[in-house]
Amino acid sequence: MKTIWILPIVAAGAVLVSGAAAAHHSFAAEFDRNLPVTVTGTVTNVEWMNPHARFYIDVKGEDGKTVNWDFELASPNGLMRRGWNRNSMKIGDTVTVTGSRAKNNPLVGNASTVTLADGKRLFAGSSAENEPTQTPPSQ
Amino acid sequence: MRTAIAELATLGSTGARRGFVAACATLLSLPLAAQWPSFEAKRAPRQADGTVELKAPAPVAADGHPDLSGLWERFGPGGITPDVEALRSTDGGPPAATFWNVGAGIAGGLPFTPLAAIVRQERMADNQKNNPDALCLPMGLMQLHLHPQPRKIVQTPGLVVIMYEGNEGLRQIFTDGRALPTVDENLQPWWYGYSVGRWEGDTLVVETVGFRDDVWLDVQGSPLTGAGKMTERFRRLDYGALQVDITIEDPMAYTRPFRVRVNQRLFPDAELIEFICNENEKSSQHYDP
Repeated sequence: MKTIWILPIVAAGAVLVSGAAAAHHSFAAEFDRNLPVTVTGTVTNVEWMNPHARFYIDVKGEDGKTVNWDFELASPNGLMRRGWNRNSMKIGDTVTVTGSRAKNNPLVGNASTVTLADGKRLFAGSSAENEPTQTPPSQ
Repeated sequence: MRTAIAELATLGSTGARRGFVAACATLLSLPLAAQWPSFEAKRAPRQADGTVELKAPAPVAADGHPDLSGLWERFGPGGITPDVEALRSTDGGPPAATFWNVGAGIAGGLPFTPLAAIVRQERMADNQKNNPDALCLPMGLMQLHLHPQPRKIVQTPGLVVIMYEGNEGLRQIFTDGRALPTVDENLQPWWYGYSVGRWEGDTLVVETVGFRDDVWLDVQGSPLTGAGKMTERFRRLDYGALQVDITIEDPMAYTRPFRVRVNQRLFPDAELIEFICNENEKSSQHYDP
């Protein structure tokens, strides 16, 4: 909760799977894979709405100031089909988020992993952009 | 809603309140599979373990034609750099299209006219931020065919309706014998065009004309214009598989017609989920100028 790491490291190929961009827009229109971000903070709001679920977290920087991050997830329909719902994340939860930063806003990101303080992953399996939503039937 | 539930619980007698709480607890403890929108399709053929028998024969409608009704999901190779070999058909049919590039499996790519090549290049250059889908506007029919979110086909005598979860796309295909409209300056161009269908044996052949000039066939912006015509051949191969072979003719955008395939599989015991794109659209605030 007190740490903030913003790592503008160029790491082509090593960056997180496609984020939760789903299919609403091209990932590159909004985010920069070369601006990976890892932050830990407290959830202040969850918007379980289309076209992307979003959540907001308060993050305290090394300078002691608290900033509010806005993270984009996949769309609620995709998240729901993987077993998540609008109560999966709660206001007050402490979460660590990895993802990619928006190109034009230093406090907006696409979340590719969200981990609770106890290590439990939230929204796992929801980051596969352009992938079918069910397991292939055995044939 | 929580307030109303609280009032209900308060108004009831102690016993009723206990019952109400118990009912809520029961509801909350139901396994996910039993919750809306998942449900068990009543008439689907099933295997011994209760799962839908996807290899059962295609169902037959009252009029004797195959019944294409069901919730369908695109499957097969996809992504930005698909395995081109895997896009090839094994039965001599056209290569599979992908959501990103309908021509991904076509040797040499799509046969763009010089104008269409420029349009596509421009659409790519700004990271497809003007893709209608990214702006919560309707997607082209090819994008809807290939979208990862499912679509529901409802087949009735004289009319086939396709409801696409992606951006709430809705399409009517008239199979009552009416003719296509004449495409002239009086015809209002539509995002989804005007569609009529007819049966050729077990294949539903659908022709569509009257598109807008600014249709995107895929995320990379392959164009379709008002001069375009789309012919789809729908075949339900068995209970769980739907194959759609599509021919695009558009002399404004392509130097010759091209054919691609879309493979759909049944999404059993599931339903559409509401997707109202504009309810909280904030992504476009962050699009790179």
